[in-house]
Amino acid sequence: MAPISRSAATQLRAIPKRILPRTQLAIPRQALPILRPAHVVLPSRCHSTSNPNPSFSSVNPEEVSHFAELASEWWDPHGSSRLLHLMNPLRHDFINACLDSQPEPRNETLSYLDIGCGGGIFAESAARLRSTRSVLAIDPTPSVLAVAKAHARKDPGLSRKLEYRNSSIEQLEVPKEGEGYDIVSVFEVIEHIDQPGAFLEKVQPFVKPGGWLVMSTIARTWMSWLTTNLIAEDILKIVPKGTHDWNKYLDEDELRRFFMDKGWNSPRVMGVMYIPGLGWKQVRGSEQVGNYFFAVRRDFP
Amino acid sequence: MSAGRALLGKTPTACRLCSRGQVPHAWRRSYSTRPQEIYDVVCVGGGPAGLSLLTALRSNPITSGLRVALVEAQDLAKTAAFSLPPTQFSNRCSSLTPASAQFLNSIGAWSHIQRSRVQEYQEMQVWDGVTGARIEFDWQGGSASKNIAYMIENLNLTSGLLQRLKELGGVDTFDNSKVESIDYGKETEDVDLSEWPVVQLSGGQSLAARLLVGADGVNSPVRTFAGIKTTGWDYERHGVVATLQLEGDGWGGEYTKIAYQRFLPTGPVAMLPLPGNYASMVWSTTPEKAAILKKLPAKDFLAMVNAAFRLSPTDLAYLHSLEQGQADEFAWRMQHVSTNPEMLPQTVVGVQEGTVASFPLRLRHADTYTVDRIALVGDAAHAVHPLAGQGLNQGQGDVQSLANTIAYAVSHGQDLGTQMWLESYNSDRYAANHVLMGVCDKLHKIYGTDSGLIVPLRSLGLRAVNALGPLKNFFMEQASGNGAKLL
Repeated sequence: MAPISRSAATQLRAIPKRILPRTQLAIPRQALPILRPAHVVLPSRCHSTSNPNPSFSSVNPEEVSHFAELASEWWDPHGSSRLLHLMNPLRHDFINACLDSQPEPRNETLSYLDIGCGGGIFAESAARLRSTRSVLAIDPTPSVLAVAKAHARKDPGLSRKLEYRNSSIEQLEVPKEGEGYDIVSVFEVIEHIDQPGAFLEKVQPFVKPGGWLVMSTIARTWMSWLTTNLIAEDILKIVPKGTHDWNKYLDEDELRRFFMDKGWNSPRVMGVMYIPGLGWKQVRGSEQVGNYFFAVRRDFP
Repeated sequence: MSAGRALLGKTPTACRLCSRGQVPHAWRRSYSTRPQEIYDVVCVGGGPAGLSLLTALRSNPITSGLRVALVEAQDLAKTAAFSLPPTQFSNRCSSLTPASAQFLNSIGAWSHIQRSRVQEYQEMQVWDGVTGARIEFDWQGGSASKNIAYMIENLNLTSGLLQRLKELGGVDTFDNSKVESIDYGKETEDVDLSEWPVVQLSGGQSLAARLLVGADGVNSPVRTFAGIKTTGWDYERHGVVATLQLEGDGWGGEYTKIAYQRFLPTGPVAMLPLPGNYASMVWSTTPEKAAILKKLPAKDFLAMVNAAFRLSPTDLAYLHSLEQGQADEFAWRMQHVSTNPEMLPQTVVGVQEGTVASFPLRLRHADTYTVDRIALVGDAAHAVHPLAGQGLNQGQGDVQSLANTIAYAVSHGQDLGTQMWLESYNSDRYAANHVLMGVCDKLHKIYGTDSGLIVPLRSLGLRAVNALGPLKNFFMEQASGNGAKLL
């Protein structure tokens, strides 16, 4: 499992906090109880590769090996990724809300870059949309990417639009000025990155002017520690141990402040909660508590 | 590609298709020598449920880009060309609820139905054949135009749906085609179809399906392939149907039509209005009695039908025991029976030749409606006792729900065939159908007796409901498919 690493928000926050080391509870694995935490941490993707220069890598090798272990369960609808699958439609709802908020009409077809694509849950779904022109999906964990590629072969409709690449953002060619992707998605990724600020700065040139950077993560609150780390990982064990490091969680206002005056506009947020029996729902204000989506639009030059 | 008959419009060109749908137009690189066609939805069964599903998918802009195929054993050109003179009606009729009619209208099919052959009714008269306890359903509060249901010939419905599909185009239709076998696909260099059902047709075609829909009736081969078990039982009853001519166009005249149903110990007998002075009858009775009814000459058959609504169960049983001469016997007995004619369907004076037929009644419910890449709709998922006229409406409810479920998956980029994105269809429909099937089954059992204990109780219940306007309205809302959801 990940050690108490450098706080995720080092680049965003003035003082790293390390107040809550992981609690190890010796509770035996048990069948999934009905009870679900109010918000849930999803086993997610980590981004980036082992860059030769560690100070510029967004990758944490331990995160990579952790997700390699999870690869086999990625597409099991009743496995540990179930909540992630169920959340996926909301990502599209959020992206649509972003596009609808633009003063200009949306482009007829859209290109996507999915960073930290994992098993391809979002990347596949984006490629299936009629309005999608292309999806490039990258992930630094080879075994996870192998799962994604094998799964995409089960749908003959995907190969025309979807490309997977075992790559970090650092290894991708930076688009020319004025070019880039309409949508760059970073779902359930930044909470696994050691230096999110540096990472987000690297992502910026990949977003086309007028395009959107869309992400999702978890607020760093007592509630999210309780539900995602203690309950989900240690007690209920519905999320594999070591998936999350609470210290890396980011608050919405930290993101908002980070993107100020850096060539971005129109920040949008949508808090979501998993409600047993109803599934994932948008809950106004819940971005302060747990899982939320966040997006910013890149300025036109 | 072979097939893709022109009946439902021309097969779209590959060029147009390459920008639509979740799958490319054709995938011809399988190891087999015969080209394998790949579809988003393959629907087996061209009855009301299957055709409505395809119509719903084609008429919705979100799902109209899907590549869809229809497989049907019969010749659909004949069905599409359904035409009878206004004095003849098919014996297979259904009672469409306003909710079903509204759905058909929303998918653009209602206007393709021969409206002059559809008869709406505004009142229902239901009574207990043993005690005479009675309940009358009509809409309170004056709205005279409010319909309880629409009587429609099944062929009129399917032909209307086929015409709407022809107008929409884009359905590859394989009719006169039997399903030879269903298997899972193969893994090749390019693509892994090992989780996709592939339907082999008698014409040699091979259709791979992202989602295979079983709209293929009570003995659904798709359900068998999916390994979905059913629970249920046979009622040991047959439904005898016939198209009948009445002495007039009903006690309410042309604009207020009434449906009648009398519960007899052997099962209910119903007289449902068709346009003019025609009516459709469904008489549930034992297989032996059904066989006798089918063999009777016309005048004795008519006497039996009139007797079924008028004589006591004992007298009726006696008539049923005769080899012949029911007409004379009935005429003699009616001299000694006092009835209020306006409480009963008008006297039957003619039976349309060739319309007396029967079918076994049963209750079947599939254990689930969905597995990965397979969904069941209509009779493939559930068969219900016809006494509440809900079978076809349940199928339309299934289709509406499944079409919505598919549209949600498509609009969110999900794989519409996977179990995870079919779950909401199953949970939406399973419980609703189960409740309705349970109610119909219990009604059949409560009325299928002349036990001294149950008869007074059920009559008390019927009379009590009749006296209570609000409760009656509740039942009517449920019957017309507009009621608050029970579940």
